[in-house]
Amino acid sequence: MRYSDLGIGALLLFFSLLAPGFLNNYQLSFLLQVLMMVTLAQSWNLISGMTGYISFGHGVFFGVGAYTGALLLMGGAFWWVAILSAALLAAALALPLGLLTLRLRGPYFAIAMLGLNEVGRILANLWVDLTGGGDGIALSPLLSPVLATNYFSMLALAVLATLGMGWILRSRFGLELRAIREDEEAAEMLGIDTIRNKLIAFTASALLPGAAGAIYAFYTSFIDPSSVFLPALNVQMIVVVLLGGRGTLWGPVLGAVLLMSVQELTWAEFPALHLALLGLLMILLVLYLPDGLLGAWKRIGSRYG
Amino acid sequence: MAEPSILEIQGLRRDFGGVQALGGVDLQVRRGKITGLIGPNGSGKTTLFQAVSGMDREATGRIYFDGHSILGLRPSRIVALGLGRTFQLSRVLPGLTVLENLLVASRPDDSEAEDRAHNLLRQVHLERQVHVLGKALSYGQQKLVEFLRVLMRSPKLILLDEPAAGVNPTLRRTLWELVRQLQEQGTSLMLIEHHMEVIADLCDEVYVLNEGRIIARGTFSEVREDPQVFAAYFGHRNRTAS
Repeated sequence: MRYSDLGIGALLLFFSLLAPGFLNNYQLSFLLQVLMMVTLAQSWNLISGMTGYISFGHGVFFGVGAYTGALLLMGGAFWWVAILSAALLAAALALPLGLLTLRLRGPYFAIAMLGLNEVGRILANLWVDLTGGGDGIALSPLLSPVLATNYFSMLALAVLATLGMGWILRSRFGLELRAIREDEEAAEMLGIDTIRNKLIAFTASALLPGAAGAIYAFYTSFIDPSSVFLPALNVQMIVVVLLGGRGTLWGPVLGAVLLMSVQELTWAEFPALHLALLGLLMILLVLYLPDGLLGAWKRIGSRYG
Repeated sequence: MAEPSILEIQGLRRDFGGVQALGGVDLQVRRGKITGLIGPNGSGKTTLFQAVSGMDREATGRIYFDGHSILGLRPSRIVALGLGRTFQLSRVLPGLTVLENLLVASRPDDSEAEDRAHNLLRQVHLERQVHVLGKALSYGQQKLVEFLRVLMRSPKLILLDEPAAGVNPTLRRTLWELVRQLQEQGTSLMLIEHHMEVIADLCDEVYVLNEGRIIARGTFSEVREDPQVFAAYFGHRNRTAS
């Protein structure tokens, strides 16, 4: 990581650590959701931003993590054991799924991932004995950690995700992932084991969404298939990365803050319209800002700087 | 004792649907030599490179590289054994800088990769473009970078697929100088090239491929005199009549 990145990171971390001291519960909840989106977007950035394999179904790992966390907590596990287990189970699931889906390219991979998210939702609906089906799972407030614990847990995930991305961006592994994004065949011909690299990136990208799902379950105290295998969540993490700048360190952070803020301001006023706005934003970004805000900033900087 | 051939191809066949692209090709590349592969368009030259480099794993037959059977291996495995190749159309990584294009092609354990990259770029006068994105280079520069990229792993055998196509004469001279230097250092090369003066000047041995079959093999002067070669290029007419 560069010193400037470390400086920005330290400043954000300082503010985030102090936040519970001066924010009310509503504001802290909002910040928790921003941190959750940073975690999800950084994870999506790892597989889709870095390798170009656009996943429309990364929410499946979030959903699996949410159910794992909730069920383990109900079963008497410590909250941090439940979070860790949710992360590991999501990654363990990603490994065989990656082996199957990463053979597909372009839209085929995107559609396969979209399908996986739906499979997760349907399974959670049908497996009533385990998941409670459509009735969902309600966690007793006595079991769930308090808001501040959930907040700091999510902060830890967001920091881990950002530090991890910072390391990957500067590493040989990151360079190889970018080579895959640019031209996978040529990358393979340069001696890069593209299958292994994609699989590592995909599995790693499932780890933190799994953990985030568990924390989300503790935070809301109630989950059902539609709330954790939510198609809109997939769209949100994509828009966040595209808005900020894919394959960059701070793009997902910037995108998460901006998108969540706009959503927070609009969803209460226009509950139906805000999803349409999300779709419109995605179209505009793809057409006019393919490198996101950070990419545009860099372009302007190099033109006038 | 070292084997005489670094690459040995036996009975290589490849069909695309009903079309036979390679119909049982036998070929050897001798160590430390430059072997030319020529033939009319569509004769199967690039298909052969695709099979040898592992990018097309549907071909049948036998391919031995440096004593290893490589038919069916993935390209990254073949590269790890010491083979490098360039493409007919430039495949420089457009969103990576020139330096990154070279570094990503180095061995992961090569601690001197950056120095090596700078040295190579200096040799072809591209050191000022080190932080320029691949897509911002001219086509000729892209072809050069693609060639340098292959050199980052110091391969034992390099397959060059029309490396000078679209390259201006100055850069082309630089390229051929590099090829000569590599041969002097003991690297084996196989070259697909349409400029016959280059083949005549550089190649120790030449294979002529036509409709997926080797129709001639020898020095350039030998294959040039072969009536089958003449017929493949100019049609089945008497040479004196043309």
